[in-house]
Amino acid sequence: MNILTNGNFLAILGASVAALAGIGSAIGVGIAGQAAAGVVAEDPKKFGSTLILQALPGTQGIYGLLVAFIVLNKIGLLGGGMVDLTAAQGGFFFAASLPVGIVGIISAIHQGKVAASGIMLIGKRPEEIAKAMVYAAMVETYAVLALLISFLMINGISI
Amino acid sequence: MNKISIIGLNKEKSSLIKEIMDLGVVEISSQDTKLADPEWLTYVKKDGNEAEVLNYDVKISKISEILTSLEKYDKNKKPLFYTRRIVSLGEFDRLTANNGKTEENVTKILELNKSLNEIISEENKIDTSILSITPWLSYELPLELSETKYTSVLMGVVPNIADIQKLNDDLRQKTDSCLLNLISSDKDQHYISVICLTKEKEELYDILKQYGFNNVAFKELTGTAAENVTAYKSKLKELGTEKINIEKSISDFVPMKEDIQILYDYLIIERDKNKILSNMLKTDTTFYIEGWVPEECRENVEHVLSKFECWNEITKPEEGEQYPIMLQNGSFVQPFESITELYSLPSSSNIDPTSYMAPFYCMFFGLMLADVGYGVIMAIGCYAVLKKFRLEGTMQKMLKMFFYCGISTAFWGVMFGSWFGDAVPAAAKLLFNSDFTLKPVWINPMEQPMTLLIFSFIFGVIHLFVGMGIQAHILIRDGKKIDAVFDIGFWYGFIIGIALMLFGNSIIPGSGKIGTWMTIIFAIGLVLTQGRSKTGIVSKLISGVLSLYNITSYLSDILSYSRLLALGLATGVVSSVVSILGSMGGRNIFGFILFFVVMLIGHVFNFAINALGAFVHAARLQYVEFFGKFYEGGGEAFNPLAKKTKYNKIIKEEN
Repeated sequence: MNILTNGNFLAILGASVAALAGIGSAIGVGIAGQAAAGVVAEDPKKFGSTLILQALPGTQGIYGLLVAFIVLNKIGLLGGGMVDLTAAQGGFFFAASLPVGIVGIISAIHQGKVAASGIMLIGKRPEEIAKAMVYAAMVETYAVLALLISFLMINGISI
Repeated sequence: MNKISIIGLNKEKSSLIKEIMDLGVVEISSQDTKLADPEWLTYVKKDGNEAEVLNYDVKISKISEILTSLEKYDKNKKPLFYTRRIVSLGEFDRLTANNGKTEENVTKILELNKSLNEIISEENKIDTSILSITPWLSYELPLELSETKYTSVLMGVVPNIADIQKLNDDLRQKTDSCLLNLISSDKDQHYISVICLTKEKEELYDILKQYGFNNVAFKELTGTAAENVTAYKSKLKELGTEKINIEKSISDFVPMKEDIQILYDYLIIERDKNKILSNMLKTDTTFYIEGWVPEECRENVEHVLSKFECWNEITKPEEGEQYPIMLQNGSFVQPFESITELYSLPSSSNIDPTSYMAPFYCMFFGLMLADVGYGVIMAIGCYAVLKKFRLEGTMQKMLKMFFYCGISTAFWGVMFGSWFGDAVPAAAKLLFNSDFTLKPVWINPMEQPMTLLIFSFIFGVIHLFVGMGIQAHILIRDGKKIDAVFDIGFWYGFIIGIALMLFGNSIIPGSGKIGTWMTIIFAIGLVLTQGRSKTGIVSKLISGVLSLYNITSYLSDILSYSRLLALGLATGVVSSVVSILGSMGGRNIFGFILFFVVMLIGHVFNFAINALGAFVHAARLQYVEFFGKFYEGGGEAFNPLAKKTKYNKIIKEEN
């Protein structure tokens, strides 16, 4: 059980949790992609506009990557010389990574569903793409807020 | 927008419609409501020439089919962006004189297309036949042979799971005088032939049936399978040459594409002239038109109408009457109309928000992408396309808009010191081992995120206040000055008060106290005024107090602007990930190559995903937060009777 009190392990675990937001993005982009393929089967000209909507749930994965990267950079893992962290410091990194990891997964899945519905919408009314995008962006707001809070927390941890 | 009514004589109708179409600034609106009014119906009836419209539509769809098929044979390289050819009015009229000849060509192409389709379906038929005959290739008897004097020949299939050896044994058990041949097998079935005595046929047939035997017969075929396949193949070859010949004849028509396009556009114009009739009313000798004309085109229209013997009247729309919307803005704002159009045109009782929105959209887009490299590439790319191609409509507006957004992106990149992220210092480190850095002009958001977060909120508050200000402006315009003061003014005071109370002291010492008093005074003001539509003191007060709860909606609106920081950070961090990945090869020739490859791919990816994010989220801040404060969409676009041609842009000659 020693490893759970190892600060460096906890910090890296935090980075991993943050990067897990990619799970949500993978599912979300997948859901939207299925809907897009259906619409494009009817009208191949809609490839561009459906692709834009399909890409929207992908951002959570990037937010996760971003936070993971900042953690790894801050503890010096990427530069080669990792700083020795206390268990508390490692725990801080872990806690700070939770919002973007958890909110990222869930919001990306739901954003994927909204994007899929939006793709259906432009299948019938291609001129309404802006509305479809805004519906999807409404979901993303919470991923942005989670990213922000994770970022500010990690930024505030002193090592 | 002005309302226009015209009453004219039927004999001048078609020339008047032609002149109006040449002007292209009058919308002729549908008169269905008048047709439902019995008083009008005693005098007028609906005009229209639907048979003719249908006639034109049939021709147009045929020609558009031809143009698509010609497109396939056109060897010329297609430009990246589609633009209409510019033709002067006189030139167009001169070219349409050839239409008779072009129509003959169209008929010829249609016939060629028809025979081409026949050949293709013939080929498909033969292909299926070959496919069905191929398993029998090694069967040496003629296909039509089903019996001789004493023997019968059975051809057929059994499912692949059936055991042929066992089938053969079963048959043998019954009689010696029969021969089973396995011709071939595939993943679904075995192809077999059985030769037996005709008198024993029935008995053997029963056994075969137990194995799932199905007869196969090739009607209309004679000779062996191999002979037939050879015949089919030579037929295919013939068809192939014929097809090439027809395709060649069709491609001979490719140079006439422009003529056909002229014909197409001519038909569109004629169709529209006939179609618009159904929006008009007529009596035996006169016609009636009602519609809309923009104020600035009024004189032109009046000048044209003065040439005809007609009565006309141009008036302002009545109070509260809905009229079609035409957005008119200056050269910087105009491209951003596409963002407004994507949402919805303003209703005629609202105002065009584009000029207020454009600077914010441009700024927010820049803040969220914030990179000199990306911005410059975007601006130059859009500029080059706009120079090279004469684009029209939404496409042109979008590109111009991204040109401005690119400049804004580059500006914020300078402010934040982001030149392809940190590519320049990373390259300097890798190539020359130097610690060269580019200093941001303002702040580095990675190092001072809190500062940028606060500024994001400040930008947000300004944006929201402008939106509220527009609402106040609309209220005052509509004569509701008191509403403007109570609903907008008090909220201004309340929000500023709270901001000062919370953060004032850290900027100007002592201002916190002023903020506290402002908060209290405006809160009381809101409590006293927000329930004014209710009756009874108690419910007035309750609504007033509850209205303070609206502060949460303002709070969430303001917090929403934190995305300005978050998306800006996303661009920056992904860029530095790219730099770190690129630098992993170390300081050797392999490392340098890796660096450039990783940089190229990484930045293309980062640019694509973050430009999309910036576009979507900048639009969202306008649509949800800004428009939410005042905007009312649902306007109909101004749709004048004009030459809506597809291939040729017809312009008037200079006189």
